[in-house]
Amino acid sequence: MKKPLFSDRKETEAKYRGLLEAAPDAMVVVNAGGEIVLLNVQAEKQFGYHRDELLGQQVKNIIPEGFAERLIADGTRTAADALAQQIGTGIELVGRRKDGSEFPLEIMLSPLESPEGIVVTAAIRNISVRKDAEKHLAQMEGRYRGLLEAAPDAMVVVNAVGEIVLLNLQAERQFGYRRDELVGQKVKNIIPEGFAERLIADDLRTAADALAQQIGTGIELSARRKDGSDFPIEIMLSPLESTEGILVTAAIRDITERKKSELHLVKTVGELKRSNDELQQFAYVASHDLQEPLRMVASYTQLLAKRYKGRLDSDADEFIGYAVDGSTRMQGLIQDLLAYSRAGTNGNALHEISSEKALKDALANLRATIQESGAVVTHDSLPVITTDDTQLTQVFQNLVGNAIKYRSAEVPRVHVSVTKNGGNEWTFSVQDNGLGIDPQYFERIFVLFQRLHGRKDFKGTGIGLTICKKIVERLGGRIWVESQPEKGSTFYFALPERDGK
Amino acid sequence: MESTGTGAEPIEVLLVEDSPGDVRLTREAFKDAKVHINLHVASDGVEAMEYLGRVRNHANAPRPDLILLDLNLPKKDGREVLAELKESPALKSIPVVILTTSASETDIQGSYQHHANCYITKPVDLEGFLKVVKSIDSFWLSMVKLPRVART
Repeated sequence: MKKPLFSDRKETEAKYRGLLEAAPDAMVVVNAGGEIVLLNVQAEKQFGYHRDELLGQQVKNIIPEGFAERLIADGTRTAADALAQQIGTGIELVGRRKDGSEFPLEIMLSPLESPEGIVVTAAIRNISVRKDAEKHLAQMEGRYRGLLEAAPDAMVVVNAVGEIVLLNLQAERQFGYRRDELVGQKVKNIIPEGFAERLIADDLRTAADALAQQIGTGIELSARRKDGSDFPIEIMLSPLESTEGILVTAAIRDITERKKSELHLVKTVGELKRSNDELQQFAYVASHDLQEPLRMVASYTQLLAKRYKGRLDSDADEFIGYAVDGSTRMQGLIQDLLAYSRAGTNGNALHEISSEKALKDALANLRATIQESGAVVTHDSLPVITTDDTQLTQVFQNLVGNAIKYRSAEVPRVHVSVTKNGGNEWTFSVQDNGLGIDPQYFERIFVLFQRLHGRKDFKGTGIGLTICKKIVERLGGRIWVESQPEKGSTFYFALPERDGK
Repeated sequence: MESTGTGAEPIEVLLVEDSPGDVRLTREAFKDAKVHINLHVASDGVEAMEYLGRVRNHANAPRPDLILLDLNLPKKDGREVLAELKESPALKSIPVVILTTSASETDIQGSYQHHANCYITKPVDLEGFLKVVKSIDSFWLSMVKLPRVART
């Protein structure tokens, strides 16, 4: 005969009740018949019943399944045995309140011998919050997995010791492995260098620190497929706290194509530069070397003309005249070609300069032309800009020079002004009251050696605007014209504002 | 020693020039010179150095009072000739006038770095060329006192 737990029943009950009430969980004591024999105030609150309504009732009323069954002995085991199996373990069940609503609970059972036989004390904890959290977590995990699979990049999740714990389909494809061949394997197998090392703490830094340094930055590494072939990747790391410690999610992008196109780009830029240099060189050499024999032709036809003019017949004079004229013109073309090939190549570094000073230098160079034509050249106050002053002077000189050269019957009036557009560009304009240009020629006038007038009317080879265009474009700008015949022309050129000033 | 350009003694000029056309033009231009000029011609850099070193068939060549040097020459170009000249204690006092078609900044800088006495870009037209030669005559051969060395 077992000794009763408490000798005095009343005292026992009182002590037990006190204990029961002090418990933070709902406590329900159930006898072998599944009837509630005792409960605490937490239980009342939890299930929404008044104590009287529960005492003597079947526990099935508040925990419909899984509890009463556990108490009941069946053919193969005694109630004590049945119970013993459950003792201490937290069983997750569903509780039902008086209002019929249900909630998840965790129940801990302990047997208690009493004069009425073995009773079971059940500590019942409402685990809706935990359940919600778990559900949330599961949802998150589901979402995370979904996200992982939806990602366009290969994704591999690695733990702190460098083992792959999760990966997506893209990763399988990219590395040529089946999922189960990679999970649990060292990430070194697929990314031999530079990744695992980054995960590992050394004496100087913790794993978290080591990782923090790498987060978000794209690291270019080499990856290895199952077949042993290597390919370039860019890898982005982000940490993920988990129950297994900090995990690292690595987004791995195959950058073979990018590398290829980068290489291609570098090669193309190199080729372009080379061909541009060659062209530049060609133009210079061609024009320079052409000049040499031409100088002979010109000099000796001129010498012929000088010594023998009027001493041969009139045909000879005429022929020599054409030869002199042709060679002189060709010298002009070649010199302009030389000037063109040099324009933009002999550029100085860009400095902050006064564009007004550049204009004044240009006007000084044009002094004779201005005086001779009686031209009136005016200008607004012009800004300080960051550019190449020599080349800007050249542009002003060509544009103002043209404005005077292609003048109408009126006294030439030229006005230079400037506007700032959008804060990042200066637009200079050179306006004249000259002959004007038919809009159909707006493109043509900027083309090398294209002229709108005969040589009899105006001298020149048609290089000035071409040089302006080359210079302005080299300085990162644009040049254009607005004009109508007999209404004058306005040439504009826009130069980028550097340094944001 | 007498060093005037207007004296009776002829002035020896070495023209280093590969273009026969330019040689002839120079000759033509010097025809009207104020002084008597002996124009000696070397048609490449190697020949110029041989002339100045009085080797081979130049054993009796007079030392030039002035050298007119083209830069772009066959065999040894004018830049090398200039450098060698100006490194030679015996020859470095002879004034060298660079007379070339090149207008390149590199050539201009390089020539003065190697102590060229002046640099002239050949004008492309006849009048300009004649004027240049005339100026050489009136400045280097008439106005300037040249460092003449006793001839043996």
